[in-house]
Amino acid sequence: MKAATNAGRLVRQVLSGEVWPALADRHAYRVGPDGQPFLLPGMGGVTLGVHCADPATGYASDHLEPGASIRHRDPAANMALQFLTCVGNQVRVAGGPAAGALGHVIGQHAYVLVDFPETAAANLASGDPVTVVASGQGLALPDHPAITVKNCDPDLLARMPGGTRPDGRLEVHVAARVPAEAIGAGAGMASEYANTDLMGAYQGLGEDLSLGLEGLRIGDIVALHDADHRYGRGYRPGYLTIGVISTGQCMLFGHGPGPSTLLSGPSEAFLLVDDPDANLASWLHPGEST
Amino acid sequence: MTSALRLVAVNLLGVVEHPALGGSPYRVDRDGRSYVPTGDGGIVLGLELGDPAFGLVADHAAPGACLVHPDPASRHALASYACIGNQARVRTGQAAGARGVVLGKRGEEGRVIVGLGQADLARLRPGDEVAVRACGQGLRPPGLRPDVTVMNVDPGLLALLPVDLGGGREAAVSAGVRLTAPSRLAGNGIGRPAVSWDLDLQLPQPGEDGVGEVRIGDLVAVDDIDARYNMGYRRGWVTVGVVVHGASPLPGHGPGITPILTGPAGALRPVPDAAGHAGLTAAAMVQLQ
Repeated sequence: MKAATNAGRLVRQVLSGEVWPALADRHAYRVGPDGQPFLLPGMGGVTLGVHCADPATGYASDHLEPGASIRHRDPAANMALQFLTCVGNQVRVAGGPAAGALGHVIGQHAYVLVDFPETAAANLASGDPVTVVASGQGLALPDHPAITVKNCDPDLLARMPGGTRPDGRLEVHVAARVPAEAIGAGAGMASEYANTDLMGAYQGLGEDLSLGLEGLRIGDIVALHDADHRYGRGYRPGYLTIGVISTGQCMLFGHGPGPSTLLSGPSEAFLLVDDPDANLASWLHPGEST
Repeated sequence: MTSALRLVAVNLLGVVEHPALGGSPYRVDRDGRSYVPTGDGGIVLGLELGDPAFGLVADHAAPGACLVHPDPASRHALASYACIGNQARVRTGQAAGARGVVLGKRGEEGRVIVGLGQADLARLRPGDEVAVRACGQGLRPPGLRPDVTVMNVDPGLLALLPVDLGGGREAAVSAGVRLTAPSRLAGNGIGRPAVSWDLDLQLPQPGEDGVGEVRIGDLVAVDDIDARYNMGYRRGWVTVGVVVHGASPLPGHGPGITPILTGPAGALRPVPDAAGHAGLTAAAMVQLQ
């Protein structure tokens, strides 16, 4: 049975932002796990060729942000955009050659990350304005009071498989399970902002760096064990957090593909179902040609 | 960087920090309760080396005065170059002339924690200038085995800590520590550079019998963390750091260590002593001052 929600009481708010350029400084290089200097694209701007259901790793990239990376110029308005925008919210390009194109929010990463069809993304550039219809913060599951919902469009939750089980648990389908050892940068931050980098997914690097997470895909729904994200991101034995992989390949040590937070609560409140199709592409972008 | 290269010292200017809050006085703790953070930066009185890290109603309280710099790049340089054990001297204000020692560093925008006598701290005021004689990055003690990295320490500090450098390529470096924490407790600081950030440990609240207690200045080890550059997970490694600030109600935060040693577990061997450990002590600080 689909879980009952308070979706009818949520408001939708129209927000604006723009495609934000990739940023660098004159020293160029960052440092990998063994001190190796690297300069790789992927963060900011419009990253092409990587969409939901594509591998998260395996690219010559760092902090790979699929699609368009969005911010607002005003610092306080930007925080509102980052905090209020939810995974699954619709985004419309409001100007430039791609005007009118529709995409979906796949997560936050100090940018709002928007997956557009490749044909639309190809016509996007830094500075293009976008309109976000933000909805989802405040979403609650009355029959699952121990579970906190964050950053999740009500329509996305309705499309995801699973729901309230006869025993009262919330069934959630996940493509991967993540051990607490994998939690990297993002620990200690607000769970409405940026995401949780996962270590142990450095494809092509040492076995001693691996936690078996090299198979993650962009858009995968994942379960983080012993993670409590109800009030920020922290370690708590016996808690579970459900997130969606919104960023990909990282070379920067202590970083990696990252889930944006969707659900968090005591482990016993959830029933996890391993499901390789538990990916945003199954529900948000069906039939889109990439 | 080899032992054949001489270290240089640089005089850096730090400014005593004033605590800063946003428009709301509240933060939200790991259980969802609002609280007003006290002791997070600036001058904290009455907290000293050897005090329990969980002993105060405070957020990230550090023992002494936190130094910053109004220019962000200068502030990062201050936090990156200053090392534990470096001399600090108050240049302006009522406490001018007072001598202190760097006890640790904190990350994000960068803070250097300076220990001073309580009477000097009481005379100190946010905005006062403190000079730090920064020296230590690049240190490679002679004979140190090549797979162990030293960082964030004054050249004179290691001799005053329970650290045995082993004296050869084969012998392990050993470090007396209060405890060894598993990497899953590593919180804020993961993925950040170990030369300028501390690593918060999400340690459980100690029991009433004191089991699990950690003290300011303790050496603590973390398994499976490689801190040579950015800090991150590497199976079979170990990092040892000094506890430089106390606990925090925030999720993902806790007592923070400034890393001083990192290497493969076979090369760097922590020796835990929950009851008798003594790490960075006030007596050692007096010797460096």
